[in-house]
Amino acid sequence: MNGFNIHRAYSIARKEVMHILRDPFTLALALGLPVMLVTFFGFAIDYEVKNIKLAVSDRDNGPASRRLKEIFSSSGYFHLVESDPGAGPVALVDSGRAAAALYIEPGFSKKIKGGGSVEAQFVLDGSDNSKAGAIMGYLPGIQRSALSKLAGTQVREPFSVETRFLYNPELNSRWFTVPGLAAIIIGLLAILLTAMTVAREWENGSMELLLSTPVRPLEIMAGKLAPYGALVLAGVFFVYLLSRLVFGVPFAGSHLLYLAACLLFVTAALSQGLLISVVTRQQQIAMQFGMITGLLPSMLLSGFIFPVESMPRFFQYLTMLLPPRWFMAAARGITLKGADLGELAVPFLALGLLSAGMLTLALIKFKTDLE
Amino acid sequence: MNRTLRAFIRKELIQTLRDVRMRALLFGAPIIQLTIFGFALSTEIKNIKLAAFSQPRDAMFGRVTEGFYASGWFARAGYTPGEDPFELIASGRADAVLIAPKEGLARSAERGDGKMQLLVDASNATKARAVEVYAKNIIAAAAAREYGARGEPALKFDVRVLYNPAMESSMFLVPGVMGMLVCLITIILTAMSLTREREMGTFETIVSAPLSNAEVLLGKTVPYIILGLADALLVVLAGYLIFGVPVRGPLWQLALAALALVVTTVSIGTFISTVAKNQQQAMLGGFMFLFPSILMSGIMYPVENMPKAVIAAAYLDPLMYFVRLIRSIMLKGGDAHVFWTNLGALALMALSAAGFAYKRFRQTLN
Amino acid sequence: MNPAPVLEVRDLSIKFGDFTAVDNISFSVNRGEIFGFLGANGAGKTTTIRMLCGLLEPTSGSALVGGLGFEDGGKGIKKIVGYMSQKFTLYNDLTVGENLDFAAGLRKLEPAYAKKRRKELFELIGFARPLSTMVASLPGGVKQELALAAAMLHDPEIVFLDEPTSGVAPSSRARFWSLIRRITGLGKTVIVTTHYMDEAEQCGRIALMRTGRLIALDSPAELKRTAFPGPMAEIDFKGGDAAAFISGLAKAAGLLELSPHGMRWHAAFRDKAAMDAALSALPRSASAGLIQPSLEDVFIRLIEGAER
Repeated sequence: MNGFNIHRAYSIARKEVMHILRDPFTLALALGLPVMLVTFFGFAIDYEVKNIKLAVSDRDNGPASRRLKEIFSSSGYFHLVESDPGAGPVALVDSGRAAAALYIEPGFSKKIKGGGSVEAQFVLDGSDNSKAGAIMGYLPGIQRSALSKLAGTQVREPFSVETRFLYNPELNSRWFTVPGLAAIIIGLLAILLTAMTVAREWENGSMELLLSTPVRPLEIMAGKLAPYGALVLAGVFFVYLLSRLVFGVPFAGSHLLYLAACLLFVTAALSQGLLISVVTRQQQIAMQFGMITGLLPSMLLSGFIFPVESMPRFFQYLTMLLPPRWFMAAARGITLKGADLGELAVPFLALGLLSAGMLTLALIKFKTDLE
Repeated sequence: MNRTLRAFIRKELIQTLRDVRMRALLFGAPIIQLTIFGFALSTEIKNIKLAAFSQPRDAMFGRVTEGFYASGWFARAGYTPGEDPFELIASGRADAVLIAPKEGLARSAERGDGKMQLLVDASNATKARAVEVYAKNIIAAAAAREYGARGEPALKFDVRVLYNPAMESSMFLVPGVMGMLVCLITIILTAMSLTREREMGTFETIVSAPLSNAEVLLGKTVPYIILGLADALLVVLAGYLIFGVPVRGPLWQLALAALALVVTTVSIGTFISTVAKNQQQAMLGGFMFLFPSILMSGIMYPVENMPKAVIAAAYLDPLMYFVRLIRSIMLKGGDAHVFWTNLGALALMALSAAGFAYKRFRQTLN
Repeated sequence: MNPAPVLEVRDLSIKFGDFTAVDNISFSVNRGEIFGFLGANGAGKTTTIRMLCGLLEPTSGSALVGGLGFEDGGKGIKKIVGYMSQKFTLYNDLTVGENLDFAAGLRKLEPAYAKKRRKELFELIGFARPLSTMVASLPGGVKQELALAAAMLHDPEIVFLDEPTSGVAPSSRARFWSLIRRITGLGKTVIVTTHYMDEAEQCGRIALMRTGRLIALDSPAELKRTAFPGPMAEIDFKGGDAAAFISGLAKAAGLLELSPHGMRWHAAFRDKAAMDAALSALPRSASAGLIQPSLEDVFIRLIEGAER
């Protein structure tokens, strides 16, 4: 009576599988959603800011000013928009039709030819930081090439740097987006699905029924978690196939380690979902909790988009409580860097500890509720 | 006001707000999240761990390296000279390693080919790209310092950043996150509300009363429009008080934009709840809407940067219009053209979403 | 004396696609009656009731509820009837007062009128707890009584109760039925569906439904009389072997009905002579006594008759 009974856990799992299978809508969504989003956003998101609309007001219209415009447009980053003669380029920035504006004063070409120094005014839309930041980064390079091409004076470059990108030489955004997106989708679905199923049992009273049988809490939990774990792992496999076959994401590391990382992460996400459901006991609140502790942090605080190291120190510590942060590190490490177990010790340990912690909390709460 | 509508508003508000956890989620969580995201997230890449290797010690290379650390973007990586630079990156102890030319930077620079090598961990492509841009600019500046920038350079850009001169990330992110939170909360509240009534059986009581379809639909949506607007107000206030995100445009523009967004999301949520058979389906349906619409909204990625097909899809994303509106109103002072075109689009979405919800709702009732 | 019917149903059918949920039924109900629907799950009871409450429109045939038809999509009917559905119809997460306020709002009742009705109904159901009591904390029987009060807040002429006592303790069921009788005493008409035979006995008339058809309609006493014109015996074999005798009895002349009831058997006969003849060969160990047929016997006989 005291030990963990695998048969009882199994029969609960079977009941849960029946629930899932009888609801093809849920099943299709749970499996289809990751695939859909991964393909969609694997194709859609490109981190290199390009096609920046640059409004130009060229009041010089000399050879040098035309040359400067050409340098901007041939850089590959900018797309030139002529501004309305009356309104001036800032009006275009105001109305959002251009992200930046360039003013060339009359006499620009003449001054350059005479060897004097000239200034061109560059106005940026600061309301979109990600774009503004990228533009600021591009400017010095444009300035350098303009100097040599306009003034005709070869700028002395006594020394320079040659960058070598390790692991992703062509800086293919997909290589790191797709494994990252997979982590988010899986983590989130696992959290939401488990959070809601257990909450559902409480809501419609079937939990009381289950508890009146000699089933132990641990068996109930294991039985409820296992099918969703399997469902989510099937999602992982889909995502893996897609990223390999469709996006050609390389796989530098060990598949076994990757599987281990996935299992750990899925466990952590399921535990989080379970904890939420045990605490909330109501589907709507469980879903709110799941979304708020799952969706937003794993998208924004996990390092998926915003690198953790760029955050203030306090928040860097805070992200340590988030399983997707560790999985993101482990997944990128394994797929791109071919990390070995030694290098993955910290993320693995963290995932394990977080799952164990949340599972224990859920179990304690569950038990105290029974008494 | 119609007596039934008033009864609905009271009932829905009481049901939603009685539970402490629900109150916390509705009013506490957005504030906490806004705070976390506003303080924690930055579009700027910082704290890049840099290691620098030079075979013979070289004062010029040392000065170049110091230029990196002084820039504020790079931090010192922990390492001992003589370690394998690749190993440093593989283990994650360094994000980038700068390596001096074999015979030292000063001597090779004299010969005119002072090529340093920068190894960058590109497992995060965005970060790698930023590292390269920073490094090029820092090295160009260092070269000018070392070899004397004689006089002014011939061409200079006088850069002026409008609306957010300090380029603070919070100014840019907070309005977007606001839209996201309001969208999230209204969808969650509404996607499940009807489904739950049907699951519980209380829906039968409502339909057995002599009410028109429109009355029932309004009764089930207006309370959530009120809650959504309350949340929008709360978040704008928090953005202003905590981050000093200004509202440079007129308040009525902000109010109209928020109303249009909330009506749209509440209608979409209601539509989902009429389709879903149980709460789990409602949740997945809500998720199906939320996830892509957040990603396509431009909150995190510039929409213009996406492929044409996705941009076409983004035009169906109400959140995209709202993000454009709120950034324009709060930061840029609300350009009339931006306001009316985007509000028009959003209002059109609100109307058609409400229409769809109404049509679907009628079918459910009969 | 034949009071005017408040409910008249003529050749009514409801189809959902190919499925005929209610198949050509006709009946009428008089003011002040307790009219019961009896039948298995899926027999069409709930569909009939939902239609009569204005929630569904009939596919063919006609129905007049309080003199009103479906010309306005059932809205007029909804105004004069009260409906308590099978599932629990109050909100567990609201207080008693909030629930009743919402019910009043649904019916657009004047606040003063709603308050007056609330008082009357509380008196009727004997509810004395504070209005601020959470519904979730009430016992099941009290919840059902409150749900009834909420359904009657707008003072409907006809009250429809769809399995009002399912899942309620037996003592509370008895209380609820005395409440139903009090309501009809006030001149209201109550139409109720049930699974329980003892509850059906308390109805003025019973409509027995099977697969969408009305197979019998009468008062409980009349139903028994028509189904079993002769006497009925209950045979107790007291643990002895019954098989041989029963197989013989099944072939006896004048036997109308033979059915097992737990350890005992019920046997109905055309007349007393037939019974005496059939039971003369009863084994020593067994005993037989005369009983009144129950509604359950009627139910079994009528259902079997319909199947034949």
